Amino acid sequence: MARYGMALDYKNCINCKACETACKEENGVLLGADNHRIWVGMKEIEGEYPNLSIASNTFYPSQCQHCDEAPCQEVCPTNATYYDKDGQVRIDADKCILCSYCINACPYDARYVDDRTNTVDKCTFCTDTRLARGETTTACQNTCPTKVRIFGDLDDPNSEISQVLQNREHFTLKSNLGTKPKLFYLI
Amino acid sequence: MSTEVSRRKFLQGSIALSVIGGMASTNLFSNEEKKGKIKTTTKTNTTQARTVSTLCEMCVNKCALIARVENNIITKLDPNPLFPKSRNMLCARGNAGIQALYDPDRLKYPMIRVGEKGEGKFKRVSWDEAFEYIKEKTVKILDEEQDNRSSFMFCAGEGMAEHTFKTFYDGFGSSNWLNHSSICLQTVASAYGVTLGTYPQADLENAQYIIMAGANRAEAFVTPDTMDFVKKVKAKKNSAKLICVDPRFTNTAAKSDKWLAIKPGTDLAFVLALTYVTLTEELYNKTYVAENFNGFEEYSAMILKENYTPEWAEKITGIKAKEIYEIAREFMANAPKAIYYPGRRSTFSKNDFQLRRAMAIFQALGGGIDCKGGLVFGKQFKLKDHEEIIPMYDNAKARAVVMNNQHIGYDSCAIVSGGGSWISWRNNFLEETQPYKVRGMFCYKHNPMMNMPNTAKTAQMLKKMELVVCIDTMPSDTVMYADVVLPECTYLERTDPVKTFGGVEPAIAQRNKVIDPMYESKPVIEIMRALTNKISKPLFEITKKYDEEVQSEIASSSEKEVYEEFDLTKPFMFSQEQINEYTVSDYPDAAEKLKTQGVYYPKMDEYFKQLSENEFEYYPEAAKSYSVNGGKPVTPSKKVECNIESFTKKGIDSMPMWRDEYMYSIPKNQFRLMTGRHAQYTQTSTANNAMLKDLMYQNYLWINKHVAAEKNIAFGDIIEVSSKIGKTSLRAYPTEKIAPDNLFFIHGFGQESSELNWAYKNGGNDNAIIEDFMEPVYGAAAMHETNVEIRKV
Repeated sequence: MARYGMALDYKNCINCKACETACKEENGVLLGADNHRIWVGMKEIEGEYPNLSIASNTFYPSQCQHCDEAPCQEVCPTNATYYDKDGQVRIDADKCILCSYCINACPYDARYVDDRTNTVDKCTFCTDTRLARGETTTACQNTCPTKVRIFGDLDDPNSEISQVLQNREHFTLKSNLGTKPKLFYLI
Repeated sequence: MSTEVSRRKFLQGSIALSVIGGMASTNLFSNEEKKGKIKTTTKTNTTQARTVSTLCEMCVNKCALIARVENNIITKLDPNPLFPKSRNMLCARGNAGIQALYDPDRLKYPMIRVGEKGEGKFKRVSWDEAFEYIKEKTVKILDEEQDNRSSFMFCAGEGMAEHTFKTFYDGFGSSNWLNHSSICLQTVASAYGVTLGTYPQADLENAQYIIMAGANRAEAFVTPDTMDFVKKVKAKKNSAKLICVDPRFTNTAAKSDKWLAIKPGTDLAFVLALTYVTLTEELYNKTYVAENFNGFEEYSAMILKENYTPEWAEKITGIKAKEIYEIAREFMANAPKAIYYPGRRSTFSKNDFQLRRAMAIFQALGGGIDCKGGLVFGKQFKLKDHEEIIPMYDNAKARAVVMNNQHIGYDSCAIVSGGGSWISWRNNFLEETQPYKVRGMFCYKHNPMMNMPNTAKTAQMLKKMELVVCIDTMPSDTVMYADVVLPECTYLERTDPVKTFGGVEPAIAQRNKVIDPMYESKPVIEIMRALTNKISKPLFEITKKYDEEVQSEIASSSEKEVYEEFDLTKPFMFSQEQINEYTVSDYPDAAEKLKTQGVYYPKMDEYFKQLSENEFEYYPEAAKSYSVNGGKPVTPSKKVECNIESFTKKGIDSMPMWRDEYMYSIPKNQFRLMTGRHAQYTQTSTANNAMLKDLMYQNYLWINKHVAAEKNIAFGDIIEVSSKIGKTSLRAYPTEKIAPDNLFFIHGFGQESSELNWAYKNGGNDNAIIEDFMEPVYGAAAMHETNVEIRKV
């Protein structure tokens, strides 16, 4: 059993969307701007031309945080949302009744509806594609031009992600909610 | 940072708002009826898959990739970690290559025009019928032009198989060749070429100080520069300082330590002022300059005499004098590990050639030439040449450029380079000022309708041309003007000429066929083989009729023997795979490695190491080619050429100087239009890609927020942008990231070909409004000289 997580060296992100396209092609994500598993968050820059704040323009890659205490799992009435053996938060499409509770409960806004199946979908860390084939990377991690993403087993002290988290300062999003996300942003 | 990471919030504020709408299924070219609705993405499987190592062609970078094939369908493209140039990455476009392959709008069959030119009405024909048509027209024209082979023009876009098409051009014997260079990197490549001897690469990985001016590597991808600069700038230890100089706040500016909003077209004044500070404060590398410069005294004296002070430059560029002093000092303090980044698609303004010369000289003043952390020449593995034929046709006229009697040089530019000047050629053709008639053209993987300023004129040119043959994968705007359309297969369906990639970590790479060509499409080498089989003998008959040299040669030897030299089929006799094997045969195991791994360099087995999931080592430090010429330039004199006196005879400044006409000014109520590249689109070639459209549906007009507010323009409003030559419409994106008198939108949108379901009339077409201004040295298109007006529609 592994406990997969991802560390994001997010300051290297240039918002090129290689990760988003790789994810869609790997996992057969339906096209449509609303339907995607991962994204890069940004906001309009602060200041007035030409005095703009470079620091205010940071890009934040994001996706399902695969929380250890996932609010989406707590509210799911049919147990469609569950933790798999490697700690990923997964959705059993057969059980999903599209009640949308999980979409509302997710503080990271990581879930969307797949219009083909009328069920909820989100990032799975490529569990049923790459990991199932015995590969050790996710599609987004593998393709990233500036190598923002470090993926691996948090329970293995020798894994790259464990080493990085030990040696570099990092934070998680909305940690005050107690969801214990497994996406870590490196400072 | 709680709000901006939300997917919904992100979408609300994003310019990627639109969702792909319903598509008309009336497309003549579409296979939807036969094959059902488009399946836009395919989930990869856990069942058995075949993998093929090949190279990307979604842009010019040629990154190495591994294609995953399941049930003969390509389901995923992944980066190939073996290639030092692309360093285990595949960008959004590279990942979306599957959509280019399975695009339902693809050209599928040979076609002959039945409607008016530009109307897009074609009939499907067999390959043989298409070649027969070309033969008849070509024979007729060449007969009437008495075997002047130059009565045909050949043009091609950048790519690995461009070489195959050029082999055809060489054999055909025309002297009219036009490629992308004069609408791309002609001025920068040539300016560095005459100044340092070559257009160098930049060792961003080891630089301590980087000035990136007018180059946007976070969005306009160049490998490995894009990866190297970001990692270097954001590295935790031993990081580099990045100065971004750009009129627009780009994603590169977002990664920089300092962003300087320069006025468009005034970079030359900025560099001259940096040079002034370097000279007056004696910051330059005196030993390097003494040993490696030609004309330093004259250049130095001129800079001082002209008084190119930072205070002078501040008035022109809008960059504070204080900043210019600081940057010159910091750059020279870090030299030679300091880089003034050369850039690429760079003919922004009429002074571009002199700007690039000034940049090269400024770089050299710090000694950062052919050394670690500076500009590098790199090593390259030699490949064997395969057979080509270049027959001598006695009646073939020289290139159709206008000679001007008033001064030495050509009519519209001083130097006509290998790739020619597209704009000047087109305009001369239309004005009928060429020395003879050019009546037909062969166009390969090139889209002059979309890629050249003043679209209306290009349309006129194509209408006037008696035979237009287009070889392409997509029904582009140019294909709509073709008489004969020959469908090429996409890059994933063909093996291309093997290519050697020079650099600090040189390698050879090969594009391997992943699946067989779909429909009736063929690789260009097979198209050339079949076409030359059809036309070689009939064309030789024309030559025999008019070429006295050939006639007397036949009289003295035999026709069979003479024909040997004119046999156009010869270069295409072998398959691409066979040619590639021969090309790399100097390297014992290369051919096999290239077939299975896509990448080869000697000692790869020993050198290549995976350091982590993310990092790879290609060469040990000691084996890297940081310096190949002992730090000396590679000009014929082995010196940095500051003062090239022979230029004055052609009316070009012998040294980079500022002239009053370079001054930036904008009439009231007008804007200076800028265009550029994007991380998710490659010029016009990706505009119909379903996956990429999903990221950003169309291009947007960047307009300063305050100006937009004054004019009551909100996000998404449709704005008509017009210049002296035309107009185009697109949606507004009010932002602080652009100056009040500038406008910007990315190039490649607003296509007029109705056969491109997604790209048709989607967004704004920059070249419909960019005027055909040329820089005077090479006749390259000066893309940022056009002033425009706007109107809310």
